[in-house]
Amino acid sequence: MPTLRIDGRTVKVAEGANLLEAARAAGAHVPTLCHHPALEPSGGCRLCLVDVTREGWSGPPKMVTACLYPAEDGLVVQTASPRVVATRRVVVDLLLARCPETPIVQELARQHGIEATSYDVNPERTDCVLCGLCTRACDQMGVSAIASVSRGAGRSIAPPFDQPPPDCIGCLACAEVCPTGHVSVAESLTDRSVWGRSFELQRCRECGRAQLTKAQVAWAVARGASARDFELCDECKRRNLARTLEEVGGTVAAGEALPA
Amino acid sequence: MGLVLRVAIDRCNGCGNCELACAFAHPRGTAPGHSRIRLENRRLAPARRATPVLCLQCDDAACVAVCPAHAPARNDTTGAIELDASRCIRCRSCVGACPFGNLSWDDEAHAALKCDLCHGDPQCARFCPTGALARPA
Repeated sequence: MPTLRIDGRTVKVAEGANLLEAARAAGAHVPTLCHHPALEPSGGCRLCLVDVTREGWSGPPKMVTACLYPAEDGLVVQTASPRVVATRRVVVDLLLARCPETPIVQELARQHGIEATSYDVNPERTDCVLCGLCTRACDQMGVSAIASVSRGAGRSIAPPFDQPPPDCIGCLACAEVCPTGHVSVAESLTDRSVWGRSFELQRCRECGRAQLTKAQVAWAVARGASARDFELCDECKRRNLARTLEEVGGTVAAGEALPA
Repeated sequence: MGLVLRVAIDRCNGCGNCELACAFAHPRGTAPGHSRIRLENRRLAPARRATPVLCLQCDDAACVAVCPAHAPARNDTTGAIELDASRCIRCRSCVGACPFGNLSWDDEAHAALKCDLCHGDPQCARFCPTGALARPA
């Protein structure tokens, strides 16, 4: 277990942990926009910059993204050195120039003492901070229907060729993980549309309630789930379970610990 | 830790304490609609009755198999499959995949609700007056 010092505090973290996890374990506040515990870290938002040096090293510290840097024995980390704070402030200032009207960015700016951006404001209003959480969530689903396209100022998140994505299953993981609510979704009783593509919803055979798209059900079945389980909504399935239990009667054990 | 929770459905009198205790024990507040245990088929005649339904903590669980983010995982101490909300990417596949409907979707909190046996001390059992839900000694 690597032992390291973070802001003067000694912490022990699990093997394979990164500096962000170590810093949070040490109680340090490191802001992030593109981090999600279930997704591959990408170092995209540059907010989690920290200064890293090593015990016995007399040279200057190195500034790294905490989410991508592995926690190692003997590291000395500063999450709020003057250099880190100044650099993070530039990052937030640039984010504010790109997304001046996005509440989460405005809040970050406020926390970093920025009232107005010192750069030219983006003329095209957008809420996308290009954190890439949506594309990584999509990758995690094993679908990869959307990706980041182009570079530099023209970079954006889009389906291939800006056409309705053929691989998308309409699960809305992208919209759910988006920190700014940029991914727009429209839903009616029978259909859902996202990324310019419309999906038919799977409706409960008994009550008609819709929860998932038919494409997502097909995705789950391809992963080994049973198609039958998706025919009913959770409420109707519970009612059926209750009916079965009443027929069987007696006692049910819910939750038996595994033998040690 | 041995058996954590025993459900004797024929003892339930439909009082609803379990739903309230569950909602109260979890961070979403006191509304029974946010409970992980549900009373189904509530009836008044010939006597007040209901059937408590909650996660069966399956051995080969559909929610674990379908989740792409490894959010539900077995806690070997309590035997419960616990849903790590910080790892959830909220695709709701588990809600559809559970054959018994024991995972529900909270539309306000954008989170799946699943029984975690209160980490070994199920509050529903603590507040059940009839012993329908009980922690065996």
